[in-house]
Amino acid sequence: MTKVEIKGLEKKFSKLHVLKGIDLKVEEGEVVCLMGPSGSGKSTLLRCINCLEEATKGEIIVDGQVLTGKKTNINKVRENIGMVFQQFNLFPHLSVIKNIMLAPVDRKKMTKEEAEKKGMELLARVGLADKRDQFPSQLSGGQQQRVAIARSLCMGPDIMLFDEPTSALDPEMVGEVLDVMKELAQEGMTMVIVTHEMGFAREVADRVLFLDGGYIVEQGTPEQIFGNPQNERTKSFLDKVL
Amino acid sequence: MEALQAFFELMRESMPVLLKGAGLTIRLTVVTLPFAVLLGLISCILGMTNIRDFKFISCIMRSISNVYIAIIRGTPVLVQVFFIYFGVTQFLNIKMTAYVAGVICLSLNAGAYLSEIFRGGIQAVNIGQMEAARSLGLPYGNSMIKIILPQAFRIVIPSIVNQFIITLKDTSIISVIGLMELTMQGKQIIARNFRSFEIWIMVGVIYFVMNYALSKVSQYIERRLSVDKGRN
Repeated sequence: MTKVEIKGLEKKFSKLHVLKGIDLKVEEGEVVCLMGPSGSGKSTLLRCINCLEEATKGEIIVDGQVLTGKKTNINKVRENIGMVFQQFNLFPHLSVIKNIMLAPVDRKKMTKEEAEKKGMELLARVGLADKRDQFPSQLSGGQQQRVAIARSLCMGPDIMLFDEPTSALDPEMVGEVLDVMKELAQEGMTMVIVTHEMGFAREVADRVLFLDGGYIVEQGTPEQIFGNPQNERTKSFLDKVL
Repeated sequence: MEALQAFFELMRESMPVLLKGAGLTIRLTVVTLPFAVLLGLISCILGMTNIRDFKFISCIMRSISNVYIAIIRGTPVLVQVFFIYFGVTQFLNIKMTAYVAGVICLSLNAGAYLSEIFRGGIQAVNIGQMEAARSLGLPYGNSMIKIILPQAFRIVIPSIVNQFIITLKDTSIISVIGLMELTMQGKQIIARNFRSFEIWIMVGVIYFVMNYALSKVSQYIERRLSVDKGRN
């Protein structure tokens, strides 16, 4: 089943033409990594999938709902799309468990008790059960990002978007976050990930997309992209980073 | 020694009257501030209105707020007081007490500045907070109430208290239309006994005590509501 379908997506910020025509399908359970130089439009593409950026042109269909349509209840659709940010964006005035419980309770998906129970399960899963009453500023970057993942998962999404989830972390904390993501992938979560972690992409991704200048210039399995890139731009990028 | 004695003698005589004036100053401020906060909130909401499907109406609402703030900021309080007390009453052919004119003037004034303070506070909250809330499925209003405003409120407390203090001091301007608040009482006493030096010291000290108390209350609230709870 197709989870995300993007047709002819274009995005302009006043004069800046960031996405110039993107077509993409993501199947259920698929893990797709977006790569490319900075300014190539990876993050913008990701943010279009949950409408944090409004598409200038084209169509985005998530779970059979046309996001770009006027009548779609975007809040309802977003409940099923989790998003993890580079800067974590935990709510600093709320404790860890309250960060996680907020959305399910507000959206009346769960009672307080249910949300707390599920929140604790998720915290245990990301290895932070003992941090439930701490505040975000008391946690390390890696811990904050794991809480952010738990927060997204508590809404029970069937798609997870990751926007450079490890780029703001100290090197020694990258692993703990990637491990959580790996586990999610193995459980069959549909994931779209913007990342510069080549090793992770190679190991976990079903498909790697290489973006440049607002287009998907190359895509394929990690073996194809990393082992035998065809596009010149992909080659020179990989030469620099690998 | 004798001078000191004379000072205390004068203080004994003048203090009751001055404190009566201070009472009116406080009453004027206390009545003004809720109106000012309300005006500030309304103006702030108008100023930040941006409804996608109602572009034109949104633009008008923003303009109302902008014009209001521009007028208040662009003219002196003294002129505003005269305009309301003498100008507006003449134009509309109505009667207004100095007290009412004072409340209206100070409310309009503080409201405009508070509006900008509120807006600044909301905009000071990291944009990522709104994005995180929205991406979890929260509608704009709920995100605002549960995520943005609690953080913005803590950011703006010092500025709000600052504005309260300014308003308290601005009440002295209302003396020009004959309201018998603290400054006016001081003036009256001096008119009788010509003891400018001592009386203005007393008036100054009373203002200082009121404002100092206000700023201490602010510090207490600030400490209680620090944004990053974990850091304390």
